[in-house]
Amino acid sequence: MSKILIIEDTETIREELKTFLNTYGFDTKAPTNFEHIIQETLNEAPDLILLDINLPIFDGYYICREIRKQSDVPIIVVTSRDNEMDELMSMNLGADDFVTKPYNTQILLARIETILRRVQGSSIRDTLVYNDLKLNLSNGSVTYQGEKAELTKNEIKILSCLYKNKGKIVSRDDLMDFMWNADVFVDDNNLSVNVTRLRKKLEALGMEKNIETRRGLGYILP
Amino acid sequence: MTLKEYVKDRTVFLLTNFVLFIIVGGIMMLVGINSQTVFLIFCIWFCPLILYMLIEYFKQKAFYDELTSITENLDQKYLLPEVMKEPETVEGKALYEVLRQANKDMHEHVKSFRDRENEYREYIETWIHEIKTPIASTRLIIENNQNDVTRNIQEEIKKIEEYIEQVLYYSRSNNVSKDYLIKEVPLVDLVRKVIKRNSRDFISKGISVNLEKVEGTVFSDAKWLEFILNQLIGNAIKYIRERNGKVNIHTVRNEHNIVLTIEDNGIGITEKDIHRVFEKGFTGENGRQFGKSTGIGLYLCKKLADQLGLGLTITSKAGEGTKVSIIFPLTNVNFMQ
Repeated sequence: MSKILIIEDTETIREELKTFLNTYGFDTKAPTNFEHIIQETLNEAPDLILLDINLPIFDGYYICREIRKQSDVPIIVVTSRDNEMDELMSMNLGADDFVTKPYNTQILLARIETILRRVQGSSIRDTLVYNDLKLNLSNGSVTYQGEKAELTKNEIKILSCLYKNKGKIVSRDDLMDFMWNADVFVDDNNLSVNVTRLRKKLEALGMEKNIETRRGLGYILP
Repeated sequence: MTLKEYVKDRTVFLLTNFVLFIIVGGIMMLVGINSQTVFLIFCIWFCPLILYMLIEYFKQKAFYDELTSITENLDQKYLLPEVMKEPETVEGKALYEVLRQANKDMHEHVKSFRDRENEYREYIETWIHEIKTPIASTRLIIENNQNDVTRNIQEEIKKIEEYIEQVLYYSRSNNVSKDYLIKEVPLVDLVRKVIKRNSRDFISKGISVNLEKVEGTVFSDAKWLEFILNQLIGNAIKYIRERNGKVNIHTVRNEHNIVLTIEDNGIGITEKDIHRVFEKGFTGENGRQFGKSTGIGLYLCKKLADQLGLGLTITSKAGEGTKVSIIFPLTNVNFMQ
């Protein structure tokens, strides 16, 4: 489990961010005292740091620079300043990424995952497994009890979204939102066609109970 | 200043002299002094007078002509007292002094307004950064407590963010040059980013998007461009008709420019309104019907585009749709790619 350290002085954000990241399976630490923040950070030895810029006692730039002197831990700067100059400055001080407030939480999550994957190696997250169905993201194929089938880009996106929400109903709007965020701008009809096609491919592999439609609610991978 | 004007200005003085001479001459004639002597006195009286007036005329003419030509050539005409030479004549000195005083006072006046505006602008920008923190918290709270109610709140929060962004860019719009950063911007990335920002609206209104022909790279400030594009796409969404809405975005590369066009099949703009859409506060017929227009969006886009050196054109047919194009000039810099 990856450990994320949140350096943030606004209590609500700190607490909600902890809750949010916990639900996505991260271990979080959020110090409330900023006096010995640098030493504390180094002692915690987190896998990734979310760092605010406007902080009491030391500002984020200073903390970033001091941490960099002793550690290569990935740092994502999170700030309400949205100047290009702030971005440049953060990058120059050794931050790995820059996200402006108010952020889209899914985007923040995606950035965290990208960086962690880069640091920790990519092997783990490329294959998603559900019951006997394996989805290989790197070559876009699915395997079910030894049978293999190739999927199109749209089908991979649909399936991976349903995978991430195993056992939960995903509404058509949420599914489309997920796809749009991944640069696939499908419309309503297109989505239906893709889901139907995907379902047939899975059936052809011999997977009888696959994607179900819940009328008026969305799709589910039971 | 012509000779005629100068003489006209001195009419009273000349007339007085003439009248005086006629009286003196008349008296002399009466006491029997001969007309030659009278003429001689006339000459002694008037020659130096006219000579003096001529010299004065040319001196003054030179002075005022110089003033006029300096003023005409000055970009900022109020700088005249700084540029002009201090004149030697008493009148000139008085004029110079008055001008200086008036100018100094005006500068102080302008400065107080400029300070006030700067203070206000700084306050607005700080405020915007402050307000972003509670918005970020709200978003996280919503994310952690997802249901229909929070989903609706999220939609409203998104609108608040859009309005806040507009305020920020409005307050910065007068000095773009202070915080822009030119870099390579691939248009397709930019367009995708903005489409994603508006994905909820596109999906809920069932609008289909076509970006097949977006290509090319421009050199500009990504943030400002994103803002402009977001306003334009936001408009396209706002004025699209329910169902069968289509937004088509494409680029055309010409010899001297790249044109990015956003085309929608929305309600369009009537012919009498189209020429005024870039005016501040102009809402037109659509604004009245939709009741949500502030008349700021397009005005800001135009203003920012001007400052970034981009063209912005709009064509529309009522009932059929609107076409907005951003024109990126290709300068030598762009050829480097």
